Amino acid sequence: MSDIIETNGLCKQYGKFLRVKDLDLKVPGGAVYGFLGPNGAGKSTTMKMLLGIARPTAGTISVFGKQVNSRNRLSILKHVGSLIESPSYYGHLTGAENLRIICVLKGVPDRDINRVLQIVRLENQKEKKVAQYSMGMKQRLGLACALLGNPKLLILDEPTNGLDPAGIQEMRELICSLPQQYGMTVMVSSHLLSEIDQIAANVGIISHGELVFQDRLSTLHERSRTSIAVRTQNNEAAVRIFDEQGVSCRRQDDYLLLPKLSDNELAGHISGLFESKIGVVRIEERRKSLEDIFIELTGTAVSL
Amino acid sequence: MIKALAMEFQKIRRRKVWAIVAALISVQILLALWGVDRMDAHELSQGWMHFLYQFPILNSIMMPVMAAVVASRLCDIEHKGQTLKLLHTVMPAGRLFAAKFLCGALYMLAAALLQIMVIVSAGLVIGFEGSPPLDKLLYYLLFTTAVNLTILLLQQVLSLLFRNQMIPLTVGIIGSFAGLFIMFFPQNLGRFLLWGYYGVLMFVGLDWDRATRIADFYYVPVDWTGFSILAIMFCMIYIIGRALFIRKEM
Repeated sequence: MSDIIETNGLCKQYGKFLRVKDLDLKVPGGAVYGFLGPNGAGKSTTMKMLLGIARPTAGTISVFGKQVNSRNRLSILKHVGSLIESPSYYGHLTGAENLRIICVLKGVPDRDINRVLQIVRLENQKEKKVAQYSMGMKQRLGLACALLGNPKLLILDEPTNGLDPAGIQEMRELICSLPQQYGMTVMVSSHLLSEIDQIAANVGIISHGELVFQDRLSTLHERSRTSIAVRTQNNEAAVRIFDEQGVSCRRQDDYLLLPKLSDNELAGHISGLFESKIGVVRIEERRKSLEDIFIELTGTAVSL
Repeated sequence: MIKALAMEFQKIRRRKVWAIVAALISVQILLALWGVDRMDAHELSQGWMHFLYQFPILNSIMMPVMAAVVASRLCDIEHKGQTLKLLHTVMPAGRLFAAKFLCGALYMLAAALLQIMVIVSAGLVIGFEGSPPLDKLLYYLLFTTAVNLTILLLQQVLSLLFRNQMIPLTVGIIGSFAGLFIMFFPQNLGRFLLWGYYGVLMFVGLDWDRATRIADFYYVPVDWTGFSILAIMFCMIYIIGRALFIRKEM
């Protein structure tokens, strides 16, 4: 499917600080796009620019194939639902009253209120004042608000913030179901790699305002290759023997890292070491985790 | 626009904005009616002028506070619930600004109309000489509303731009005292202060004879230049305030 969101050279400067640098996002349609990055990487700023609530310093944004400008912004946003940072609500009004206000302003029929309340499972709480809602309920109301009018695109900024584990699970399932059930494209940001790993098909990783990776999540997984770590009593000599055997290896601390080998191949190479009287003291299988890749890409430890 | 205005009223349900207007107006009316039952024949003959002199002075204290509170109540809900970032994705910011102003303006207009009703009914009950001076009452409504709405507009701009509502409320209170204080200075000086326009646009003067202790009210020509300056101020505050609000990033 073609790209629903496309940005070219998107930049945002606050004072002298370039918060977002030359961002070229491509969000394919009909799937969940995970927008991943450490805290302060520029995720929210980017999403705000997509929604027109922050002005880009440079660059262009296209949504549904149309370049967004001040004249067509609202007509494009009619088909976009959003939940940015914390949910927006009037605490002194009930959940249903809150939704009715947005319904009227969006030009969506009133009957949509019950539909979205059912989706987020708030139908029994709709007559309660939002000030009395728990954080999780407010977050779900925010999502219900974003779902009003059945938009083609949902932009959700850290939607699981402040939710308990059960709420997080529920929100994830809901987000995953939206593309299949309603044909929506969902762009969801998070600083949690494990979360994006569970819900997204495509991923963009942003670090210090720059896009450091963008592709299918499976491509990222392919990078998490397995290697064999061998520690010997004479690594220099072992390297020479592996070279003679045609096995490329590289050093890491006290270990030699070999590519993934079959059991027979590995047994043969290790026998070679024994024959050369090199003592082998450790043999370990190592798998580069997604977190390792994330840290490699962003230079920042990932939140789990 | 009507939808946007209707939604402003929907948003302030249970916020009891009308109660604040009613409370402040009640206090003002009680102050105005204090002692009117002891009026002598001379005072009754000038009763209408007495009210049209006294109400603008009371307005300069009460109305800026009312405008500040009304604007703050209307705008604070958006800051508290962080709703501006959502509203900016469903409606033009300029329309939101206008709808909020219209909503507040209707409260301020209602307050001024309530005052007119009290002036007329109190005058008739007490027995002021002559019938109510309709033209003068219309001038009073026009000038009071014009100053009220300009102050409301300034308060709304401040309330929308600042999350902390203490800032606009403090401006409103300081403005109300400054407006009263500037009445003791020549009228031209009042033109430099928005809150001083209750005094600038007064069309009743007072001649107080120290020896006889008799107060004589008299009509003075309307200061249309002052009114024009106020209209220009309104337009400038609206244009600049709206632009600042639209430019504000969430």
